[in-house]
Amino acid sequence: MRSRRLTAALYLGVTAVAIVWLIPVITAIMISIRPPTETRSGWWNLEPFTITIQPYLDALRDMPAGTIRTTFLITLGAVLLTTAGGVLASYAFARLRFRGRTLLYFLLITTMIVPIQLILIPLLPWARQLGLLVGSWRPLLALILAHAAFGAGWAVFMLVTFFKQIPRDMIEAAHVDGAGHWEVFRRIVLPLAIPGIISFAIIDFIFVWNDLLLALTLLGTRGAVAPPIQVALSNLQGQNLPRQDVVSAAAMMAILPPLLLFAALNRFYVRGMFAGGAKG
Amino acid sequence: MAVNLRRRPTPTPATVHAGTASRRPATKIAYAFLAPLVVVFALFYLWPAFNTVASSFFEWGLARPWRIQEPSSWEFVGLSNYTENLSASRFWNAVVNTAIWIVAFPVLVILVSLLVSIAIWFLPWGGTLFRTAFILPMTISLAAAGVIWSFMYNPDFGVIPSLVGAVGLDNLAIDWGPIQFQAQAWLSNPGSIDLGLFQIRLVNLSLIVAGVWAFTGFGVITITAGLTGISPELIEAARVDGARPLQVVRHVLVPSLRGPLVIVGTISFIFALRTFDLVWVVTQGGPATDTEVLSVLLYQQAFQFVGSAGLATTVAVIMSVVLIVAAYPYLRGVLREEQA
Repeated sequence: MRSRRLTAALYLGVTAVAIVWLIPVITAIMISIRPPTETRSGWWNLEPFTITIQPYLDALRDMPAGTIRTTFLITLGAVLLTTAGGVLASYAFARLRFRGRTLLYFLLITTMIVPIQLILIPLLPWARQLGLLVGSWRPLLALILAHAAFGAGWAVFMLVTFFKQIPRDMIEAAHVDGAGHWEVFRRIVLPLAIPGIISFAIIDFIFVWNDLLLALTLLGTRGAVAPPIQVALSNLQGQNLPRQDVVSAAAMMAILPPLLLFAALNRFYVRGMFAGGAKG
Repeated sequence: MAVNLRRRPTPTPATVHAGTASRRPATKIAYAFLAPLVVVFALFYLWPAFNTVASSFFEWGLARPWRIQEPSSWEFVGLSNYTENLSASRFWNAVVNTAIWIVAFPVLVILVSLLVSIAIWFLPWGGTLFRTAFILPMTISLAAAGVIWSFMYNPDFGVIPSLVGAVGLDNLAIDWGPIQFQAQAWLSNPGSIDLGLFQIRLVNLSLIVAGVWAFTGFGVITITAGLTGISPELIEAARVDGARPLQVVRHVLVPSLRGPLVIVGTISFIFALRTFDLVWVVTQGGPATDTEVLSVLLYQQAFQFVGSAGLATTVAVIMSVVLIVAAYPYLRGVLREEQA
């Protein structure tokens, strides 16, 4: 039958393209778990095949101490702040009238369009002026705040969509029963919007974890605080004669947390992406 | 709601007033809800953005930052930062490289994700699994993607040079007048197309391929969302009328995907114009300035050359204006939905 043959051909084609799509990831895995002597002329030479964690140990040694810790602190801090602020603000956008609403929404949405470079250049002197570049935790706070500011538009854009899906009757009924906005927010909107909030938090986690440019600008050259992993990775790669196995192991460490999050909760991730455009 | 961007907006009484559910005057309460986010947003986005625009009319460097509250230290230069960049060949070199990105990247992303999404959509089972293979690279940071792709192109152990060598094309060299190409040195000089006024250096395409790999998942998600919205009756009707699968794709599926395609095109255009990480990690703009895009030029003017932060701000302003103008229809669509 014609259509059966077509389906078979389609499966063959899609499988082939999917495998091609995974080759870069396989490349990184293979180079990072084998001694460099074995992959020097191509990781597809499987003879001999030795598995080693040495590249990972070397990568941890070669990256500034505290890089992993910094990355987690910044990512979790930024996601928490952006999500909390975003949830509150989105309630106002979804359920309340106020002056300046369109202008504020417009300004928030511009973060999804303008390049981050628009805020990048004055950010360093501005953070210094606010006293945020000294000490061991204030630079982290500076980075968290910058991420929260740049993620604000995306937070409101996505969360308002989810909040508006909550049936209006439920909220009206609560108001009739005498509930104020705070109670409605806490007892009705928040619990019902949890899946949407998780979607946003995952996307924001991946975005913040993967950021290079903001971190490079605010923490790239400051000795006191270890830079987050994307900066450390970029520095490893930029060295003269970088060791491929070590760089590859560092890349795997930079990839794994978002990837595991995606693997565990990819339904939420895809749904969040469905909800609109992405901040690229 | 965002979904309306994809389908035709069909306002129903339930959604029209959803945004203004409460009729009581609630401005003060609204501001309380908005305050935490807006304070951070104003301090770390609006204020720096304003500073960027304002300081682009002054000469300054990071060691001697422009401060709005210290007029005595201002060195007003009018538009000369703009004219200086606009008359520098290095700026125009970055414009050409960025132009290659904003043309080739969206076209490739749309083509690949359209093909992949439609092919997967026709599969009776396993769609989610296959889609995941394409969505997965989206979670990988562009810095890591850059590292991985510099392995892919590595002349000693990279998959691409080895494959090219295996099929015997590594000595392929094309020299057709303005078009030069050689199937090697993917990250330094695989060739160029000479257009007289400027050269298109093909090494940029090597980077763009890596970007497409990382970004196609977004296209697949968005286009699949659009496909799910197409009514099966429409396709059934076309089939009954004797349309072949390819005709169904061309005359039924693609036309009803206009909304998603506009979104994918716009977002990948934004991505292409903003692109930094990949270029920075793989080539740092090199060799020489062959892959230097605007965002890399800006970074160097701001943080690596001395005293030229004023110049860098003009690049940021120009990029932002281009993006807002180009994304205006999209922006308007988003705003209109919020009003609904």
